[in-house]
Amino acid sequence: MNIIKKYIPLTIVFIFGIITLASYYVPHRASDEYLEWINKWENIVSAFALFLGMISLFYSHYKKIQRKVDGWGYSLFVYIGFFIIMGAAILSEGDISKEGKLTYLGWSFNNIYNPLSATMFSVLAFFIISTAYRSFKIKSFAAFLLFICGLILMIGNIPLGEIIWDKVFGWTKLTIGEIKDWIISVPSTAGRRGIMIGIAIGAAVTSLKIIFGIERGYMGKE
Amino acid sequence: MNRKFLLASVIILSLGIDAFSNKSKDSIKQNIEKIELKNLSVVDYPSDKGNSIILYFDKDEKQKNFQYEIYLSTDSTNWIKAKQAKYDELSASNIELPFWMWNKKRNINALAIDVTKVFSLQEDDYFKQNPKGFSVYAKVIAIGDNKKYESQIVKGIAKANWFRVDRLNNLVLVIIISIVFFMIVSHAKKRELFIRKIAGLEAIDEAVGRATEMGKPVVYVPGTGSMSGISTIASIFILGEVGKKIAQYDATLKVPHYDPIVFTVAKETVKQSYMEAGRPDSYREDINVYITTDQFAYAAAVDGIITREKPAACFYMGYFMAESLLLAEVGAGVGAIQIAGTDVDTQLPFFFTACDYTLIGEELYAAGAYLSKEPMLVSALKVQDFGKFLFITFAIGFSIFLLIFSKIETSYAEKLLDIFRVR
Repeated sequence: MNIIKKYIPLTIVFIFGIITLASYYVPHRASDEYLEWINKWENIVSAFALFLGMISLFYSHYKKIQRKVDGWGYSLFVYIGFFIIMGAAILSEGDISKEGKLTYLGWSFNNIYNPLSATMFSVLAFFIISTAYRSFKIKSFAAFLLFICGLILMIGNIPLGEIIWDKVFGWTKLTIGEIKDWIISVPSTAGRRGIMIGIAIGAAVTSLKIIFGIERGYMGKE
Repeated sequence: MNRKFLLASVIILSLGIDAFSNKSKDSIKQNIEKIELKNLSVVDYPSDKGNSIILYFDKDEKQKNFQYEIYLSTDSTNWIKAKQAKYDELSASNIELPFWMWNKKRNINALAIDVTKVFSLQEDDYFKQNPKGFSVYAKVIAIGDNKKYESQIVKGIAKANWFRVDRLNNLVLVIIISIVFFMIVSHAKKRELFIRKIAGLEAIDEAVGRATEMGKPVVYVPGTGSMSGISTIASIFILGEVGKKIAQYDATLKVPHYDPIVFTVAKETVKQSYMEAGRPDSYREDINVYITTDQFAYAAAVDGIITREKPAACFYMGYFMAESLLLAEVGAGVGAIQIAGTDVDTQLPFFFTACDYTLIGEELYAAGAYLSKEPMLVSALKVQDFGKFLFITFAIGFSIFLLIFSKIETSYAEKLLDIFRVR
């Protein structure tokens, strides 16, 4: 049992980890073919996993409807939405458009899916305002710096802000654009690069831990 | 009479034009003279998959005002113009190879040419039909002083290479990190290592405890990354530890999934956690739920779960894009204690502002070691510290070096930058 649950998966991870790492240093066509082959396998595994996922989705919503838990009505929409789109896809033979005309699938994609996605994305604008309001509360010196930088960037991005700046701070001989660019290209970039370097080193070490079987969290525990 | 004269004039004129055009054709033909370009060569472009060549020849100061037309052929009879360039545009420094493979200071005209593009070849067919390399003939036509000069014909082969010598710097760095990694990990059990406290991970107990006291669930979002992402793997490890604590406290866990493979792995991990905590009876199949592989539909579904169930704690660990704020802001709205962690630097500000604790990039990777306290995993954190130390030392040392040498001798500075360039 130990062999099946521990050693075989670890050996597979080690072999494919090393080959994939090596493929980064091999420019030959064989390296590209290997990566394509791996991608195909990933797609096959994904297809089976998706099937399991759908069973889980339908089962959990079926249970909600059966138990009539709070908001069970929403669960009905999972089935309604799924069968409507699946029906449209079957009738349209999987095509979005035919002879320049939208099929049922194309119509539902353009008139149901796209507006819903756009709505969710639009909500983000309101959330950015509320989160900005929260983060601009000056509770500490760091929060004060954040507020000042945020304010400068906002003023620097609108023409009216530029006019106001020139009227009030014109004597400094510095334009708001210059200050804005300096904030983005110096302190902001420095901070981002620091984070990126830490992430890159962390990712490299984590990869080594996985390849050599030291970190096995993805396999469950022994 | 006038008509006859007009007709005769037209005939004479047309004959004259024809004669003139033939003469001008002859004069162009005569104008193409032979020229011997010194060291004209075609060589394989090193460290590529076999579709490129480098054509080069010595620079001639007399040709400063010349233009060059580079022609390629597979049989030395049918020529295709690959490039037209001025004297200054063909330089050794244009070849993007590091100093250990190519001398950019050489006084030559050089050009890298992708033969598949010149001959409009499909990559798949090209590699199948030419397994041993692609033979190509080349010639240069130099235009200047109102004359054309045709060079000698040279032959070369574009071959596939087996090692990217230009990535040698990267390989050396990987080998150094690997050696340090094995050295540190092999000494792991000899002494206990100190790890600084990570507030976000310390707060996990508090979050789970709060959920237990309030009788509300904990929502764990593993992000929208695939199982091949390092952040998702780190997230699964944290999920295992969080799951164990939740099982011990007998709280409720909800894990909505974006990726079906992550879903199946997480399912197994949570089940194991409940078994390790000695509470296999508390495990339910609906802890892990697959939602969808659509970004905003997933965000909408998780927002719905958070709004309806009003969890006491929300964890966002893994890879996130635009949905980060959509999730975290809704979680903040219901008053949940929120702990986030991601390696996507563009999403970190959103988590900082909307969550109580945020794990920044590498802290997410370190979380597994921090929570499990396994000596081997903890010692691997030291490798990360070593990497950072190495980088800081290099950054400071080489910045000073560059400041000094960029004023004295620029070639040293260029070589140094070449060593650290990612290709």
